[in-house]
Amino acid sequence: MKGTDRAAVLFLLPSFIFVGVFSLFPIFESFRMSFYQLILTLPWLGQKMVGWQNYVDLAEDPVAIESLLTTLVFVGVTIPLELLFGLGIALVLNEAFHGRGLLRAVVLIPWAIPTVVSSQMWRFIFNDRYGLINFIFFGGDVSRYLAPLADPHLALIAIMAAEIWKTTPFAALILLAGLQGIPDDLYEAASVDGATAWQKFRHVTSPLLKPALLLALLFRTIDSLRVFDLVFVMTQGGPADTTNVLQFYGYKKTFAEGMVGYGSAIAVAVFLMSLVFSLAYLRFLNPSRQEA
Amino acid sequence: MKRSVTFALFFVGIALYCLVPFLWFVLTSLKSSAELTAIPPKLIPSFHWGFYQSALEKYGLLHYIVNSVIVAGLATLITIVIGSLAAYAMTRFQLAWTHVYLLILLAISMFPQIATAGPVWSILDRLNWLNTYQGLVAAYIALSLPLAIWILTTFFREVPREIEEAALIDGCSRFQSLYKVILPLAAPGILTAALLVFIYAWNEFFFALIIMTDPTVQTLPVGIALFPGEYTMPWGEIAAASTVATVPLIVLTLIFQRGIVRGLCAGAVKG
Amino acid sequence: MPNAQKFFCLAFSLCLYWPNAWAQNSELRFVTWRAEVPKVWDEAIADFERQNPGIKLVREVGPQSSTQIHDLLTQKLKNRDPRLDVFFMDTIWPAEFASAGWALPLDRYFTAAERDKFLPAPISANQYRGQIFGVPLFIDAGVLYYRKDLLGKFGLAPPRTWPELVEQAKSILAREQGSGLVGFSGQFKQYEGLICNMMEYILSGGGALWDEKRMVSALQEPAALEAVRFVRDRIIGEISHRGVLSYEEPESLALFTQGLAIFHRNWPYAWSIVNDPAHSKIAGKVGITPLPSFSGAKGVAALGGWQLGISRFSAKPDIAWRFVSFMTSEQIQKRIGLATGRAPTRTALYEDAELTGKMPQLRSLLDTFKQAVPRPTTPVYVPLSNIMQRYFSSVLALPNTDIKKRASLAARDMNRLLDLLRERQMP
Repeated sequence: MKGTDRAAVLFLLPSFIFVGVFSLFPIFESFRMSFYQLILTLPWLGQKMVGWQNYVDLAEDPVAIESLLTTLVFVGVTIPLELLFGLGIALVLNEAFHGRGLLRAVVLIPWAIPTVVSSQMWRFIFNDRYGLINFIFFGGDVSRYLAPLADPHLALIAIMAAEIWKTTPFAALILLAGLQGIPDDLYEAASVDGATAWQKFRHVTSPLLKPALLLALLFRTIDSLRVFDLVFVMTQGGPADTTNVLQFYGYKKTFAEGMVGYGSAIAVAVFLMSLVFSLAYLRFLNPSRQEA
Repeated sequence: MKRSVTFALFFVGIALYCLVPFLWFVLTSLKSSAELTAIPPKLIPSFHWGFYQSALEKYGLLHYIVNSVIVAGLATLITIVIGSLAAYAMTRFQLAWTHVYLLILLAISMFPQIATAGPVWSILDRLNWLNTYQGLVAAYIALSLPLAIWILTTFFREVPREIEEAALIDGCSRFQSLYKVILPLAAPGILTAALLVFIYAWNEFFFALIIMTDPTVQTLPVGIALFPGEYTMPWGEIAAASTVATVPLIVLTLIFQRGIVRGLCAGAVKG
Repeated sequence: MPNAQKFFCLAFSLCLYWPNAWAQNSELRFVTWRAEVPKVWDEAIADFERQNPGIKLVREVGPQSSTQIHDLLTQKLKNRDPRLDVFFMDTIWPAEFASAGWALPLDRYFTAAERDKFLPAPISANQYRGQIFGVPLFIDAGVLYYRKDLLGKFGLAPPRTWPELVEQAKSILAREQGSGLVGFSGQFKQYEGLICNMMEYILSGGGALWDEKRMVSALQEPAALEAVRFVRDRIIGEISHRGVLSYEEPESLALFTQGLAIFHRNWPYAWSIVNDPAHSKIAGKVGITPLPSFSGAKGVAALGGWQLGISRFSAKPDIAWRFVSFMTSEQIQKRIGLATGRAPTRTALYEDAELTGKMPQLRSLLDTFKQAVPRPTTPVYVPLSNIMQRYFSSVLALPNTDIKKRASLAARDMNRLLDLLRERQMP
């Protein structure tokens, strides 16, 4: 077995090196820094070890709490809607019809667009003077034009709309894969038993779609908790901090204000949230399958 | 008949939903300066290529594209190679800890990039790799490996052992068996992984922003983000550059869409 | 010039493909933002290289937004990057960069005699604890633009007080129904520019952002509260539209140049744009005047502008200084002014015939520049600014918020930060 072990290590070594140097080390650094107080612009305060103080401050920081709520609202609204729309698209794509290939290609477009491009595009669409949304709702009546990105009640909705548009294809594809894995004879058997379309969906499709659904849920939740590019380009956290998601707040603290210790604590908090969600997912999935 | 009508409606609805925002931006890029700021906005442009010209000449769009191709291409290539090696090891060698390694990879991929960006920057700085292709590529490899390894592992697992065992008996080395036997059979998975990594590297913004500050090596997302000048917001040029940035991806996805769907199909159901 | 430019481009690109080590000895790295008129910069740099053979200037272009380029610079500086020599600093950074030990004190290069040739306000913005850390290159101060034609049509003189401005706008709007006109266009997005705009109201009403002697926030003082209430209820509420809450300079200027705003607050750079028929529908119909105040006394203009600083970790500070002094020399400032409309920082240039011929507004702006008020200089300016931005944005965006309550919350956060400075007895 020694030969095998050696070969295995050799095969795995390149990935160990990259992951170790560029991922694990920075993550440990972040964890470490979260236990210090380090303010770059006040170097005389030094790099003080403050233990859990950053986390305590974080728990009491009203901006951080608001930021957490904003992030949770963001995740809580976009994920179900993405999955819902994605399911709709997947159900349509699952049927055989002329032009299916073309539609499938079209569906992939939002996903293929770079996030920063998509963000700029949506910023332009929501523009209060030249935007498409205003034109669609109010036509030529400029006096009634809205400024969604300036309105605290609408800005988050605008950001969520942009996010849902961009990520629906991903959900659609995963769900489509799941749908295509369901054997046709199950549907035939149900038809023989006289089931309606809705009943078929409830009793055949849904249960068998669960793994795909949960996979989409997992990946999308992890990404969604870390949303950054969209906010960075479209609103920079405003107006009135209503789009100040946690990762953006962490960015401002670390990069803009030089409060490296506190910013690292925020990053760790986001990480822990992702971990909790993922563990919940794996736990939910575990009883029914072996997973490596 | 009824089915066809509702179906057609859905078809059109979905197509519009996916296309319209992007189409709007593409149409914007074809407007003239005056049409751009027309209030209310004009729907049909005059097919004026001015913004493209400006984006290419004034804003150096072409070399941003070249940089992106180099960085994304290299990152994809190297990630797939390293990922294949790792996936092979994890599915072919009976090792107790591969399970753990996969979970660690998943956990790593969850960490917010703003936190890792700082230390990664310092490492690259020490290696003298800032503002170089290899620096950004190295960062991207590390960021894409978890996803690539997960996908490749799932696919490699599907390749039956017997085929490989036959090859080994015939005198192939481990490496040769990977190259000659597994890779062809796991092609859809490799395709999927490669496309996902390419798209990720092509679109990545934050690391590129802080690692590449020299305009000659900046990639497309950063380039577009820097279009705004001292006091103008060049929507026309941004729209033009965005169109150019997206078209290659759309073409790639169109070409490989069957492969992708099949890939995600097998992957999702099994993995 | 095309030959020189070609040579420059060739040399520049050759330089980058040469091994790092070789290039480093003769290389000077300059972090800047994308210039609106690159030609004048390219030429200036080419001239510098011609006068200093053996030195190659490598430009690194950062984002246009002040906040974003700040984050980029701090990333390099906090890691003591030796390959950064010269950089631009916004007027609010010298104290921060000095305190953090990132900017090189320039006292031995930038003598007192030399400093006297510059406008006083930018010079003091570059000073921290008795030393000087930057050389001002442009100066900016908030000014009021107005539609000469519209005011003239109704026989109105430019307003001296803010309430007067609101009344004038209302009367014009009432009589120009259906024109899509808006009374006022300013920058009220949640970003640094918001602080500039708001401080012009607060300070002209006798308030302050924070008390620099006692190091406590002044946001909850009555004068500040009144000013904020005025902006929310009268400026935005009565004569503007909610879109301004998402505007930075470009968007707010676009509204004005499209002929859709009566009054516009911006920096002096906008003057050449509003009078350029290629970019503006109102060329020739614009007037410029100092900002109004509340009491009828002088209005308060926020000081802006950019300075050149040298990194403390630069390996070649002497060469870096040569570049800085070249770029801030009278000749180059004049060229930049003529080409871009940016106001110079050398007092002598305000008497220069050619410059004032091309930019006649310079003479009248000189007073404004001399009296422009800098934002408070402190190493923790950025976090304080973020707190204030949050406060202003939340109060302006939501018509029914309790201003007093939010002001005291913001004050509490600001005081906690200011306390950190107290142990060192900050100026």
